[in-house]
Amino acid sequence: MSCSFTEKISSLIDGELATAEAREVERHVLTCGECAQVKADFLNLRSEIAGFESSLQPTVQNRALKKILSRGERATAHGWQWGWSTSAIAFASLLLVGAIIGLILYQTSRSNDRHPNTIAEVPSSTPVPTPEQTPTKEEKEQQPATPKQANPPAPSKKAPSREPRPGEQFAAIPNRQTPDRETPNPEAPERIRSADSETLTAIHFERSETLLRAFRNVRLNTREGAADVAYERKRAKQLVLQNMILRREADANGDVQSASLLENLEPILLDIANLPDKPDANAVRTIRERVERKNIVPLLQINSAALARALD
Amino acid sequence: MASEDHEFTMLFQDFYPSLCRFLECLLGGRAPLAQDLAQESFLQLHRTAWGTLPPDEARFWLYRVARNLAINEFRKSNTRYRLFDRVVEAMRPVARNPEQEYETRERKQMVLEMLQTLPEDQRTALLLREQEQLSYREIGEVMNVSESKVKVDIFRARASLRERWAKRAKTAGASAS
Repeated sequence: MSCSFTEKISSLIDGELATAEAREVERHVLTCGECAQVKADFLNLRSEIAGFESSLQPTVQNRALKKILSRGERATAHGWQWGWSTSAIAFASLLLVGAIIGLILYQTSRSNDRHPNTIAEVPSSTPVPTPEQTPTKEEKEQQPATPKQANPPAPSKKAPSREPRPGEQFAAIPNRQTPDRETPNPEAPERIRSADSETLTAIHFERSETLLRAFRNVRLNTREGAADVAYERKRAKQLVLQNMILRREADANGDVQSASLLENLEPILLDIANLPDKPDANAVRTIRERVERKNIVPLLQINSAALARALD
Repeated sequence: MASEDHEFTMLFQDFYPSLCRFLECLLGGRAPLAQDLAQESFLQLHRTAWGTLPPDEARFWLYRVARNLAINEFRKSNTRYRLFDRVVEAMRPVARNPEQEYETRERKQMVLEMLQTLPEDQRTALLLREQEQLSYREIGEVMNVSESKVKVDIFRARASLRERWAKRAKTAGASAS
C-alpha cells in the first residue's frame, strides 16, 4: 500500500476521523484506485469477522447462568444473601399467594360465624324465632332474603343467583351466608395476584425509560452520517417482548393506565429494535421526535414511581 | 436482591453470546474453552464487582477480564484442551444440512486461522472493533492502552489480513485452475 492515505482509511471506516478530515479522505478515495480497493477490502474483512457465528448453544447458555447464580449464592460473605433464580421467585410467589388465600379463607370462616345473629335481628315477613328457640344454622339458611342482602346465595342446595366475583367464591361454600358488604376483603386475592405483574411492569417502565434516555443521547454527528445504536437496538428487542407480555397482563387485569402506556411504548420499542446497524440520522431523529411528542419518558417515570409506591 | 439478579440475568443474556464469540475468535476456535472462560468472567463479575460498577462499565470490565483469562490460557500447555475439544466435536449431533454446515465451518475456520496469524493485541483490538463495535477510546479502556496504539494496531491488523487474504485467494485460484 503505497498511498499515504491508506492508514486513514482504517480510521475512516471506524468513524474515528474528524469531519473535515473524513471528507478529505472520502474525496481522495473517489479518485485513488488503490485506496478504493483498500477500503473495499477492509469492509469485506469486517463483514467476515463480524459475521462469525459462535458455536454457543442456548442450553449451554442457560446452564452457565444457573451455575453462576448458584455459585454466587455460596460465595457471598453473608448467609442471608440469596441469589434467586426466576423459577425460585415464581415458586416463592405462589407459596405467598397460597398462604394469603388460606388466611383470607380462615378470616372469612370466622366472620361468617357471626352472621346468623345479624340475620335473626332483621324484621321481615319471615317467622321470627321465639325466644325459646335458638335458630339452628339450617333454619337460618332457609330464611328468605333480608333487605340488607342484595343477592344472597341460596341454601346449599342451590347455586348463587349471580356469578361470584373473584374472592367471593368463598360465599358459595355450603352452610355459610356472606352478604356482599361483609365479605372480608374480596379484592385481596386479585390484588395479590396482580402485585407480581405490577412489580414487573414497574421494572419494565424503568428500563424502558433508561433505554429511551440513552437513545435520546446517541450521537448523530458521526463521520459517516450515521448513528451507532447497536446497544439500544439489542435492549429494545428484549424490551419489546416483555412489553407485549405485560400489556396482555394489564389488559387481563383491567389496569387501563398501564395497558395504555404499554400500548404507546410498544411501537417505539419496535422501531428502535428494527433500525439497521448504522441507521440514518434522520431515522433516529424521527423516533426521538415521536418519543418527545408522546411524552413517553415522563409518563414512564411517573408510572414506575406510582407503581412502586402502590406496592410499598 | 431479586431485582439485582434480574439485572445480572439481563446483562448475561445481552453479552454472554458475544463474549463467547470474542473469546472463540481470540483463542482460535476452542468453543468449549471460550464458553468456560466467558462463564468465569461473568462469575467473577457476579462475585466481586456486581453492584459496585456503573452499568455501562460492566461490559468493558467483562471484556478486560475475559481477555486476561485468554492470555493466561495461551501461556498454559493446551494439549488437554485440544483433546477435549475434539471429543466434544465428535459428539456433536449431525447437522440437518451437512453441506451448508460444512461451508459455514470452513469459512469460520478460515477466519480463525487468519486471526491467529495476528499478534494478540492486534487481534483483540480488531475483534473488539469489528464484532463489538467499540470505539477506539473504549477499546483502549478495555486493553489499558492509548487510543493511538489502538488505531495503529487495528490498521496493522487489517493490512496484514488483507495481504494474507489476497495470497490465499491467489493460491485457491491457482489450485482450481
